Amino acid sequence: MELFALLIILIVALGAGLLLQWLPMRHQPRPNWSQRVPFLGGGTPDSHAWSRYHVRYYPMTLLLIAFEMEMMFMYPWAVVFVEKGMKAMMEMGMFLAILSVGIVYAWREGVFKWQ
Amino acid sequence: MFSELFLPVLMVIFMLVVGGYAVAVLDRLVASALGTPQAGGIWLAPMARGAWLLTQHANATEAPDWRAWRLAPALYLALAAGGLAVVPWSASLVATDLVTSVVLWGSVEALATVVIFLHGWSANSLLALIGGYRYVALGLSYILISMFVLIGVALPAESLQFTQVVASQEGLWNVIRQPLGLPLFLIVGLGMTFWGPLNLADSTDLAGGTASEISGPPRLVWDMARATMLVAFSGVAATAFLGGWLGPWLPGPLWMSLKMLAVLSVLLLLGRLLPRLAPERCVTLMWVVLLPLSFIDLVWAGIGALL
Repeated sequence: MELFALLIILIVALGAGLLLQWLPMRHQPRPNWSQRVPFLGGGTPDSHAWSRYHVRYYPMTLLLIAFEMEMMFMYPWAVVFVEKGMKAMMEMGMFLAILSVGIVYAWREGVFKWQ
Repeated sequence: MFSELFLPVLMVIFMLVVGGYAVAVLDRLVASALGTPQAGGIWLAPMARGAWLLTQHANATEAPDWRAWRLAPALYLALAAGGLAVVPWSASLVATDLVTSVVLWGSVEALATVVIFLHGWSANSLLALIGGYRYVALGLSYILISMFVLIGVALPAESLQFTQVVASQEGLWNVIRQPLGLPLFLIVGLGMTFWGPLNLADSTDLAGGTASEISGPPRLVWDMARATMLVAFSGVAATAFLGGWLGPWLPGPLWMSLKMLAVLSVLLLLGRLLPRLAPERCVTLMWVVLLPLSFIDLVWAGIGALL
């Protein structure tokens, strides 16, 4: 029932967000084409903005995936932590230490810079 | 049926409306206290601006991704509503008291990155797109900090439920027990709503970033969603670190509102006082300085929970 209530809340908020835009805008005329040029400080666009673009922080996103996997283990780990005591502490400490080596290596390789 | 379904929905809608208005008023109060003159009355100005945006003509670009462009602000609002739904106002007054509410908040943070990028992407305009790309770099950097800090408060509670997290702070609040937690989490809050020093998505150096091409009703929904996300965040921060509804004399929900207002004031003050960070430096700062600090916070919390 709680999850169902949450689902209803999400749908109601989404619907409210869409209605707040649709109701006042449904009779508005579209701006004409000269007004619809994307803002480029007065310049005219030569191509779509969606052209190929080199995301400079791309290797960082790969490093994130390693940690995101680790988060999945951490949720159940947090619940049984006090029950398991020092053993759980050591296990997660080793895990984090190994991942930290990855951060240090990535730092040395300049992954966090946008050159 | 009524108390299980309609009451939670009404509660969240009430919080969205009142919370969004409270943020708008509080931000103007903070600004005028710092010496920035405010046009119009502080209490009426947010409503006047809302009414103006409702009647203003909506801008359009040449070839946007229409559906995504209209959906992104509404989705961000829905995420804020999901966050507010798990914030407990007292031991029994919670819109949805999920057993895994910490996990749900984590997913709200992760999905916020997707929605903000969608907003920047769908306008098909360069400055909006750059804002979106910048935000992804920030969003992927702060999310780990946030998760480690939140796992830290889940350890003494032995549960991923926010009501249990509050109950575990009966003796001593987490803000004292885990001193690194709240400052780190506040940085996450500024990042999540791209507010003040971490406003990389909609910054003025990009002429408004992801919001540079929107006006009228879509801008109203986008601004509302940002404000209510800040409210949801302050609710989670007050729950996780400031003892939620706990406190003497006053009733629980009142304590909760006071603590949320305190967190909001600090965030809005930081937003007005600090300069914006260079996006290139953000990634290094988060991964090399703040993430190891959140490791220390987690170990600290773990030792504290075992003692």
